[in-house]
Amino acid sequence: MEPKRDKKVIAMCILCVALLAGMWLIYTDLYQRLPFFQDRTITIGVFSDSYWEVPNGYSYQILEDAIQVFRESHPGVEVEYVSGIMKEDYSEWLAEQLLAGRAPDLFFVLSDDFNDLAEIGALKDLTLLIEKDKGFQKEEFYSSAYEYGQYHGVQYSLPYECAPKLMFVNKSILDREGLEIPDENWDWDQFYEICQKVTRDTDGNGIIDQFGVVGYTWEEAFESNGIKLFDQQGKECYLSDAKAEASLVFVEKLQELNNGYNATARDFDLGNVVFQPMSFSEYRAYKPYPLSIKKYSSFEWGCIPMPSGPKGDNISTLETLRIAMNGDTRHTADAWELMKILTCDERIQSEIFTYSEGVSVLKEVTESDKTLQQLIESSVDSRSLNLEILSGAVENAVVAPRFRNYDEAMAEVDKAVNDILEGKSNIRMEQIIWNRKINKFLE
Amino acid sequence: MDESRYSGYTLVVMKNLNLFTILYIAVIMSSSLSGYIQENSALAFLAKVDQMPMVGWKVPVVSMGLYIAFLLVLYLQSESNLSLFLKVCLELAISFYISYVIGFSYTGIVLLILADTMRYFPKSRARLLFMVFISIFYLLIDYNLLSAYYGVAPLEAYLGYYQTEISSVLLGLKNVLNSLNMLVFLVYIILLVRMQFSEKERVLALNEQLNATNEELRCANMQLEEYAKESEKAAEARERNRLAREIHDTLGHALTGIITGIEACTTLMDVAPEATKEQLKAIAEVARQGVIDVRRSVKALRPDALEKFNLEKALAQAIQEMKRATNAEISYQCSAKLNCFDEDEENIIYRIVQECITNSIRHGKASKIQIQIGREFEILKICIKDNGIGCSNVHKGFGLHHMEERLDLLGGSLSYHGEDGFAVEAQLPIRWGTEEKKHD
Repeated sequence: MEPKRDKKVIAMCILCVALLAGMWLIYTDLYQRLPFFQDRTITIGVFSDSYWEVPNGYSYQILEDAIQVFRESHPGVEVEYVSGIMKEDYSEWLAEQLLAGRAPDLFFVLSDDFNDLAEIGALKDLTLLIEKDKGFQKEEFYSSAYEYGQYHGVQYSLPYECAPKLMFVNKSILDREGLEIPDENWDWDQFYEICQKVTRDTDGNGIIDQFGVVGYTWEEAFESNGIKLFDQQGKECYLSDAKAEASLVFVEKLQELNNGYNATARDFDLGNVVFQPMSFSEYRAYKPYPLSIKKYSSFEWGCIPMPSGPKGDNISTLETLRIAMNGDTRHTADAWELMKILTCDERIQSEIFTYSEGVSVLKEVTESDKTLQQLIESSVDSRSLNLEILSGAVENAVVAPRFRNYDEAMAEVDKAVNDILEGKSNIRMEQIIWNRKINKFLE
Repeated sequence: MDESRYSGYTLVVMKNLNLFTILYIAVIMSSSLSGYIQENSALAFLAKVDQMPMVGWKVPVVSMGLYIAFLLVLYLQSESNLSLFLKVCLELAISFYISYVIGFSYTGIVLLILADTMRYFPKSRARLLFMVFISIFYLLIDYNLLSAYYGVAPLEAYLGYYQTEISSVLLGLKNVLNSLNMLVFLVYIILLVRMQFSEKERVLALNEQLNATNEELRCANMQLEEYAKESEKAAEARERNRLAREIHDTLGHALTGIITGIEACTTLMDVAPEATKEQLKAIAEVARQGVIDVRRSVKALRPDALEKFNLEKALAQAIQEMKRATNAEISYQCSAKLNCFDEDEENIIYRIVQECITNSIRHGKASKIQIQIGREFEILKICIKDNGIGCSNVHKGFGLHHMEERLDLLGGSLSYHGEDGFAVEAQLPIRWGTEEKKHD
């Protein structure tokens, strides 16, 4: 080969390698780590109103405090967030930021979005960070809340706050009817018995105007009867389970008590219903919320865990607000520190009881006297709430499987259950037929 | 060759077509992403895909950067099978990532690799292996197959941003580009096959020609060998004859003269001793001449007289010598110019004259000999007549036979008769185009 040609070939090889390296840098976002792009500002995605659908004036209070704590331990690192994004716009905003490659390093993830974001790889796998960080104790979290941060067994997020589902009890009716408020280990039989006793026509006009329960659906029945509705991958449905049949029969029995009349949440508000399942956040919101004070002033109320089915426990699901890290973040270490402050710092977590309506995900915080004090201060009646009940409800909460299209699958099951309950044919047969249909849908 | 130039052009067209197609898809993807963001339907888009899509601006940048790198690799020449293999692997890897970036919606770039690699095929023995390797890659690099392993958003998800008509036009154009790429590839292959075919044909034709020539050559060689053998035999025979002739012509002639002279001497010796002496001197002269002739014959096998003089003078001398040696009366008339003959003709004319005189004296006991040389049209006529005893039944001796033979070789003829003495007539055609030389 001539030397001239040789030189040309070498130049081309170098150019080619440089191009490939450049494309790799761009593709993997590593170019942002070049000195030119270096900065130490972490961004965090947050929405302005409460996760629990309750307006309050402290939307950024906890976050501001957390940033303050973070700044003290990490001088030189700035934390920024965009304020003013409403919860209803937050999912779309986050998706746009992700698509445009401008997503914040840390962001809150709404329940509806978590599965999708984890599935497409927008969230950072935290496993390595957790393993490397000796100071991080996952035992500090409620195991259920912690597990809610996983997707297909991988820790993609940490829980920030949660709210268990509890059974609201109208004590006034029970007193009137001469019934005891059930203890926290009550079961379906007790539940049915009370409902049967209180369901009647009080003013003698021939129309039932006092009811046992409102808002108790197949979901609550399934949860408290130990039914696992789907496998973890969301490929199979277990609707044809015998336990499911028992639950369906129980729900049908409850409905039959009302003799065709459908009680509504308004009936509960008016003090005509004994039981209503409700999230803890709603329960807390009743007191500070001015309208609800009026609403519930007419009766005494308290809350207890859900009644257990013959094969299950006094448990229900947990609603969780998670924080996740951007899969493409270039401030992993700093973001991890901030994430830990938000989720595992007891000072910050205890503020949840002050400024939000959820429950702290840390056992230590939720069970502390300080929390009780705070709850009493925020005018939750100490007689109506037992912290052990709350803590137990969170700890033992059912962790629903998390897979893509979970919501759609649940909607399918809802359709199936309504169809089965409305139809007069054999429940068992219907279960098998619907189970097949749903399995097909899952595929 | 035309085909090779056209196939080169086709490759260039393919490269540009691929560039355009990839850029086209990349721009669709990136503009659709920004469209989704502006339209506030990013969430709906994310719900449709299995993998976080690449940020909009990166798609054209990365795909074009990779494509340029790909072209550079394509441009590199490889000299061995190993380097060709490495080159092909690198090309396939880059093409895979380009396809990955554009959501495996276009894989025609693999055809470009196949087309480029085919250029090496006449040189490479492993061509089938390469072809199979690249083809398998081409078959496997398919969205439906790969999306199971590499979660990529399908092009359809991006096209979902556009209105139905626009998106179908965009998709249609992409398919047209893809088909066009295949078409160009096909043309390239046809050109390549034609190129190889015509090359083969040319080689075949050349081979055939070579075979024919070889055959001809073999025949010619055989003929030549036969001819050489014949010619060798002929030369041998000719040489033998010539030798015999020479002996006969020179020694025979001289000895005849001597014998006749000596016979005359015996008769004369007592009557005229002086004349005998003279006669003996003449005989001695003849003998000497004979010796010289023999010596010369041995040397060049050519009459010395002819060597020294031209034909006319040589003949005159020979006749003169004969006259002196034999006492016979020899008349010589020559009406033709004798200066236009070749050596072989001169030889034969000289030998005929010499032979006939010798014969007349030896066999015919003639005392008078007439020699006439004349030309009739293109034929030289030599007539020699004597008054000897003749011969009614001519017995062809060596001399006559020899003369006939020599004349035959030159296309002439000999006739003779033995009544009233002995007469010989030789006819020798004068060679075509041979003019009498002007008298110098």
